[in-house]
Amino acid sequence: MPGTEQVEQILAEALAAVNAASSLSDLDAIDVKYLARKGAITSVLKSLKDLPLEERKAVGAAANSARIKLEETISAAKSRFQQAGIISTFDPTLPGIARRIGAIHPITRVIDSMCETFRGMGFTIAKGPDIETDYYNFEALNFPPDHPARDMQDTFYLENGLLLRTHTTPVQVRELEKSKPPVKIITPGRTYRNEAISTRSYCVFHQVDGFLVDEGVTMGDLKGVLVAFCRDFYGEGLKLRFRPSFFPFTEPSAEVDISCFLCGGKGCQLCKYEGWLEILGCGMIDPNVLKNVGYDSEKYTGFAFGIGVERTAMLKYRINDIRLFYENDIRFIRQFK
Amino acid sequence: MQLPYGWIKELVDINWAPEELASRLTLCGTAATASKFIETGFDKIIVGEIAELEEIKGSNHLKRAVVNTGDKMVPVVCGAPNAAQGQKVVLAQVGAVLAGGLEIKKMTLCGVESYGMICSERELGLTDDHSGIMVLPDDAPLSQPAGEFLGVDDYILKFDLTPNRPDSLSAVGVARDVACLAGQKIKRPEYNIVESSYKCSEAVKISIADPQACPRYAARVIKGVKIGQSPWWIKAKLLMCGIRPISNVVDITNLVMLELGHPLHAFDYRQFGNREVLVRRAENGEKFTALDGNEHILTPEGLLITDGEKGVAAAGVMGGLHSEVSENTTDILLESAFFNSITIRKSRIKLGMTSESSVRFEKGADPNMVPEALNRAASLIQKYAGGDILQGIVDCYPKEINPLMVDLRPDRCNKILGIRISSERIKEILNNLEFPISRINDSSLTVAVPTFRPDITREIDLIEEIARIEGYDKIPTSNRNIGPLFTSIRDDDRLRQEIRRALTAQGLDEIYGSGIADPKMLSRVAPDLAQVKIINPIAEDLSVLQNTVFYSMLRAVSHNFAQRNLDIRIFEMGKAFHPQKNSAPAEIEQVGLVLSGRTNDQWFAKGREHDFYGLKGAIEALSETLRFLPPTYIPATHPIMNEGESYDIKIGDKVAGLAGQVKQEMARLFDVKQSIFAAVLDFEVLLRNRSNEPSYEPLPRYPAAPRDIAIVVDEAVKVGDIIELIKETGGPLLERVELFDLYRGKQIGEGRKSLAFAFTYRSNERSLESAEVAELHNKIGQMLKEHFKSEVREG
Ligand SMILES: [Zn+2]
Repeated sequence: MPGTEQVEQILAEALAAVNAASSLSDLDAIDVKYLARKGAITSVLKSLKDLPLEERKAVGAAANSARIKLEETISAAKSRFQQAGIISTFDPTLPGIARRIGAIHPITRVIDSMCETFRGMGFTIAKGPDIETDYYNFEALNFPPDHPARDMQDTFYLENGLLLRTHTTPVQVRELEKSKPPVKIITPGRTYRNEAISTRSYCVFHQVDGFLVDEGVTMGDLKGVLVAFCRDFYGEGLKLRFRPSFFPFTEPSAEVDISCFLCGGKGCQLCKYEGWLEILGCGMIDPNVLKNVGYDSEKYTGFAFGIGVERTAMLKYRINDIRLFYENDIRFIRQFK
Repeated sequence: MQLPYGWIKELVDINWAPEELASRLTLCGTAATASKFIETGFDKIIVGEIAELEEIKGSNHLKRAVVNTGDKMVPVVCGAPNAAQGQKVVLAQVGAVLAGGLEIKKMTLCGVESYGMICSERELGLTDDHSGIMVLPDDAPLSQPAGEFLGVDDYILKFDLTPNRPDSLSAVGVARDVACLAGQKIKRPEYNIVESSYKCSEAVKISIADPQACPRYAARVIKGVKIGQSPWWIKAKLLMCGIRPISNVVDITNLVMLELGHPLHAFDYRQFGNREVLVRRAENGEKFTALDGNEHILTPEGLLITDGEKGVAAAGVMGGLHSEVSENTTDILLESAFFNSITIRKSRIKLGMTSESSVRFEKGADPNMVPEALNRAASLIQKYAGGDILQGIVDCYPKEINPLMVDLRPDRCNKILGIRISSERIKEILNNLEFPISRINDSSLTVAVPTFRPDITREIDLIEEIARIEGYDKIPTSNRNIGPLFTSIRDDDRLRQEIRRALTAQGLDEIYGSGIADPKMLSRVAPDLAQVKIINPIAEDLSVLQNTVFYSMLRAVSHNFAQRNLDIRIFEMGKAFHPQKNSAPAEIEQVGLVLSGRTNDQWFAKGREHDFYGLKGAIEALSETLRFLPPTYIPATHPIMNEGESYDIKIGDKVAGLAGQVKQEMARLFDVKQSIFAAVLDFEVLLRNRSNEPSYEPLPRYPAAPRDIAIVVDEAVKVGDIIELIKETGGPLLERVELFDLYRGKQIGEGRKSLAFAFTYRSNERSLESAEVAELHNKIGQMLKEHFKSEVREG
């Protein structure tokens, strides 16, 4: 007949077996051997009815607690094995599963960002055709025929006296013709120059031009708008420099430089050791241009500016070859996601 | 243009360092940078004298020279054929670095030790002349640093001038700006002329046939000059200005042009046999051989200086070959003229050449500088080439050009600039710029604009002068106009942004084509579309505007395929240009989409070939994002697309574009050896058919009843037709039906496919009874069975 010692011996034996088990099926076998209907501990419990009352109580209690102890131990061991099983397939260093996102072309990025800045200052956006007449591209903008200033902008000519616009400034004329002051507009768009293709120049490029015409607009207002633009677009803390220049459609005219954001003005390769980066041209709209669109240039004054998009993108992202924008190598474009 | 820093200092008394001078000039509109003329400098390069010269045995050209530097005798090996005892030369001693970067070291040549090098002009970086060593005048002081003696150890100011400033194309012109900035007066070069008693007017008659093209022509005749080398100081100045010295007379005309900005020309007087100068238009077909030896066939666009009959110079552009001053010349006719800028511009474009002279006339020279330039040059010629200057100038100036009177209101100036400059300061600036003020009243000044500033004709031009001299940095920044008008984004720009959002979310990258195409390739891509030609293209393969964005997209595929970027998913928003009969070409904005190649295998999924369904999916994403009607695909023939895989895309009843698989031969034309799926959509159609705002429908209040149907049909049966029939039969209670499985395999037999659809039944008014769902579902099953003669399993 079984006694408490025998129960303890069975338990010890079973616990040792759990300890030695190396798989879930080992544990299942131990479960069958000790706890199933014909298992060793179950048999002890079944045989209790043949024992005297005193002994039945003692052996019964021992067998029950042995059963509970063994169940818990097997369960704990099982969950240890199960966990070990999961860890063996899970690898957090595998790449995540995601859809590929396409990239926005850097030219779009720069144009959108400039437009956002100027819209914030109350400029509306206007557009015009790529194919222009000599009048809108040159004459209305105070480029007289046979004037050397025309050499500044090498032009592609089409049939019937048409041409590919060399700047987006013609849109300024078209908009002024159909509006009443105040007119506060930017004109982003594509432009063309008949220049030899190189790392620095391409036959196609983009401009964001802008202008404001109203009563009492001054060169100080022009400076205010451009300083605000540069602060928003390039960041705080840069210095601006306005230096006299020449454009037929503005007078006075200026070129704007910002202190080199790479070296802070001390001089580096980016700024060709000058400490300044040329970023745009601007000026007060020439009275002849205002006259050409039927404005009283005594009453109204205005300013205009023009920013090269590719040049800006090249400075901002430090791209050294303008042709990359039009070659469309996806390894290039995908850097601008 | 470039000028030595020292020349400016001769003309104005300043103590600004070269860099500071350049920066100040830049900030007043005369953009300049400063750099050393000879970067390597002249350290250890000095004047010496060849004291001894002997052959080296065993060498056929090397000689051993001993150079006296005043305090020591330096042995040097020299190979120059012109070396001779007693010559003053330039000696680069051990440790010196020559212009090309060569460092002089002690050497042994043919067993002879050498402690330096006797330099040629090229080795010093002065000219390209390497025919022999540079021989200095006999009075060159021993041991003087050579750069100092030659006057070339100086900084160079390089100018990047705007086309509106003819006045700054000279040393005096630049110095005028400098003087104005420094508040000083410029020291003008002086001259002194001794004339002979013989009258110049007897030596030459001048007449102008076209005074519009040539308002002034003046000349002096100098007899008995001796053509030779210029003195060093002239050569040095020319070299530092980037001009090659030729001979004393020619060098002096160039020097005076650089000094005063007025071009001059020296002719061999013997060419004027009839003692006559006639300025006239060329005749059609008239021949003229220029100084460079090229013969030009002229038209009346060209202006000629003639001897009364034949052309001796292309006026203002270039002299003629036969009238050139040569070493045999003894008598010269010195021309100082003023030509109309447009005439010179047309003439030099026709001739296809520019010169220092044409640049200055084209920008606008000063008619009233004519005598000063002539006299200054004549005095220098007399001094350095000798000769008798005949008495007087023959000056043909039919109609004097006077200063233009322009009124300036100081108040207007301040209003435009947004600044307060006092009238006193304005007057001071005008005075310093040599703009005399002829009249002053309460509110305005009348300014006599000097004839050296033809660019200034209006008040606004004077205002610019005041602004640039005062300095743009003095204009206070105003914030009145940086806000606060409100503007909203344009509809078309919003659509562009949404298209970019939808397509990048589908994994497509945006590209930008140039829009300029090769006409031959383009006519293969779009044989049925006319092209817009560029009359003056950069190259034949960049000579038309594209008439479809397919062109630039195929170019991009081609580039990426060549680069082995094989998984190509791109889109472009670009213009297509179509010629029109009676108006400017139409500019049609298009959205192009291309998928080509296959996606890469990834650890969780196999890669897959791009196909038509991917393209269609991207367009579906567009229709969902932009909220236009789901596009339909109508079979259509497009030359670029495979037959049977070529569609028109319709939105409602509007054709919005086309899609399909690009023909293999077309892909090959662009060197692409993988399938290309492409679509193009018309931006305007999208803009008109999209709806800006999403529309809301209440969420369902009653439960849905999901059911399935699987059906096996012939391959020829189109899924779209099945779905259409299901929807038609299902009526309003069928909320949604979706294909969730497509299977082909042996079990269902060759030429057949199994399709499984998920159904959602729902009413918006009540909960559906399961019996009524079953009845409807059955009815659909029955309908499919009959219509497609197929097996149907319902679930
Ligand atoms: Zn820098």
